[in-house]
Amino acid sequence: MKQKAKKHKTIGLVLSTVPKYSETFFRNKIKGLQKHGFEVILFVDYFKKGDADFSCKIVAANNYSSVSYLSLWHSFKALVKSAFIHPARSLRLFRLNKKDKVTFTNNIKQLVLNQFILAENVDWLHFGFGMLAVNRENVANAMHAKMAVSFRGFDLYLSPLKHKNCYKVLFKKAIRYHVLSNEMKHDLMAYAINSNQIQVITPAIDTKLFQSEKSPSNSKQLQLVTVARQHWKKGFIYTLEALAYLKQKGIDFQYTIIGAGSEQERITFAAYQLGVLENITFTGKLPQEEVKATLEQSSIYIQYSIQEGFCNAVLEAQALGLLCVVSNAEGLSENILDKITGWVVPKRQPILLAEKIIEIINLPEDIKKNIRTTAIERVKNEFNLEKQQDEFVRFYQN
Amino acid sequence: MNHKLKIAIYSGVIPSSTFIERLITGLSISNQCEIYLFGAEQQKLPYNNNVKIVGYRNSKLSKFIQLVKYSILLFFFKGKDKKKLDAILKSKNRKTRLDKVKFYPVLWCQPDIFHLQWAKGIEDWIWLQEFGVKVVLSLRGTQINHSPIADKALAAMYRREFPKVDAFHAVSKAMALEAQKYGAKDSKIKVIYSGFEIEPATPIKNKEDVFKIISVGRPHWIKGYTYALDACKLLKDSGFKFQYTIVGAHGNIELAYQIKDLGLQNEVALLGKQPFNDVKEIMQSSDLLVLPSLNEGIANVVLEAMYLKTLVLTTDCGGMLEVIDDGVNGFVVPIRDAKNLAKKILEISTLSTNQIEKICTCALHTVKKQHNEKQMISGMLQFYQDL
Repeated sequence: MKQKAKKHKTIGLVLSTVPKYSETFFRNKIKGLQKHGFEVILFVDYFKKGDADFSCKIVAANNYSSVSYLSLWHSFKALVKSAFIHPARSLRLFRLNKKDKVTFTNNIKQLVLNQFILAENVDWLHFGFGMLAVNRENVANAMHAKMAVSFRGFDLYLSPLKHKNCYKVLFKKAIRYHVLSNEMKHDLMAYAINSNQIQVITPAIDTKLFQSEKSPSNSKQLQLVTVARQHWKKGFIYTLEALAYLKQKGIDFQYTIIGAGSEQERITFAAYQLGVLENITFTGKLPQEEVKATLEQSSIYIQYSIQEGFCNAVLEAQALGLLCVVSNAEGLSENILDKITGWVVPKRQPILLAEKIIEIINLPEDIKKNIRTTAIERVKNEFNLEKQQDEFVRFYQN
Repeated sequence: MNHKLKIAIYSGVIPSSTFIERLITGLSISNQCEIYLFGAEQQKLPYNNNVKIVGYRNSKLSKFIQLVKYSILLFFFKGKDKKKLDAILKSKNRKTRLDKVKFYPVLWCQPDIFHLQWAKGIEDWIWLQEFGVKVVLSLRGTQINHSPIADKALAAMYRREFPKVDAFHAVSKAMALEAQKYGAKDSKIKVIYSGFEIEPATPIKNKEDVFKIISVGRPHWIKGYTYALDACKLLKDSGFKFQYTIVGAHGNIELAYQIKDLGLQNEVALLGKQPFNDVKEIMQSSDLLVLPSLNEGIANVVLEAMYLKTLVLTTDCGGMLEVIDDGVNGFVVPIRDAKNLAKKILEISTLSTNQIEKICTCALHTVKKQHNEKQMISGMLQFYQDL
């Protein structure tokens, strides 16, 4: 297939769904690329209501999830298109897959499932999560496009535990990787991936939105807060154990959890058994303005995660001048510089977390102020959207 | 008794879970009552003649046939009752076809006692009292222990409905106390322990140099396995040689990640669900069964290990202290306490063969006395007859 000469590069971004309003990472990335003259095509599994208003071209796959006449019809159409609209790409994908010892049936499946991508022209095909690239390892090559994969935490650390060797084929490919932290880069290199292939681009926040004119909360009662979905990897149970220890020590506190999730029952029951239920406020998911307002009323932000790629919420809390105490899970110890912009505590050790909180409470005001100021400055300088957008532009130019 | 009591044992599905099936089989063999099973029939089981199945297959056609059949029967032979039920359902805004598929067969059969196995369904079935049916509720599991703590609407429903229930069967004294928080009257609750008999499998001696620990159960957070794994980390750091197997937890990412995170890949294995005979063999070849749960009624797996003369270490959750006397017939540690769990495992590993035998014999005596099938069935029959 002939490609038209284009002035700007086209980036094909593969995601499961069109990013929601709250999913700032991909929205900012797309906006930034467009600002720098790139064209972006978003490949998703399906459309939802309101997706049509999105700022770039969206191409959705057909629904093959159920065995039905419609699925069969879609499959037939996809095969016909593969054979007659982009036969060279289809043949190339088939041959490359065959070389990777993909069985004939799976190879045909791949042709059908990836037809919606093969039909477009892109310079880069970038998979937004590691698992999205599985069974699509040769699609970019078949399109004569460069391939990139982003790893964001869950997909690097947890998915391989469920799907053994899921990246076996992917990791052999000469492609580019984007990760959120140096720790993730290091862990990716453990799969025998060359350092040059991996670029760290950290998350970033809208530092203009997340800046506070208010002075730190002076509430007599210690106000603690976490913004996270209620998932086991966020370490809420260890956090509650630390808070139970604080309560035993006679510290008066209120802990606000902003976010929703499937583990509400587990967290509530833990709070109940640990005797801290009355000290916990569950707000559920809040709009950004209310998140900001709640953070401004708090003094210490806790992110005692078990597994964490990097964590935007910690950046936002720092930007608003909260004292942040986090675990050392993956990217968190780069997000917070221990004793400089906050505190890093080894994970799964709630007593250490509690003792650290007590230490923070008792720090002289000037040290707290110093930490706050350093954190605010660092987030402004190193984790702003402009810097992140520039890094992505360089990522695709290299 | 002049006639056999008609007792509906309802869990929503046929067959039910193992312990409910034990009750159904035991009652049917006693020949003193007729058992009615309603709900979705997922598998045919060879019950005896005392068990009547009024189930439907999980297909639209089967549900439709069930609806038509019982609508006609009720219309022609129990017209008044049908009208009355329809009015009740209408007032509760529960007049869907699926509701009728569920409710009409029960109204037609009109058992003397409707024994509901899970508390969350009580609001659906309390109307049976309007037709002279006694409604009995079993107090078991997470639906009493922790669901209403996080779910305020559920707690409110319990407070509204529990005072109406004719009688409660509690699987432990602790469960009975928990239910009283939601308005279940003490005088209406009878504690009847679950009972069964187990034949030991061919014993397999542990010939390895490592201390073999086992837990058995689904990988739900209530089972407290994360604490057991934290304890394993402490054991490993202390230089203790052990092997910990969780049967039934294979594929759980949280546990798999914790094992990797704590560097326990050589010490801990997650196995898939196993047939009961295989579980018996693994239990018998283990030095210790650990129940790290955060809450339980009385965990059957502990009773099974006691029958098989495997040492047991449990947390002090739910009704476990009604079975285990620390240091006498097993061992107890506080809930959510990895440090004490590890410490206790180390202590247990130093027991002499004589001490182990003494504790295991005492444990066997406890379960034979307190958790045999005969006492469970006679207790349940008496419970029904006293209504």
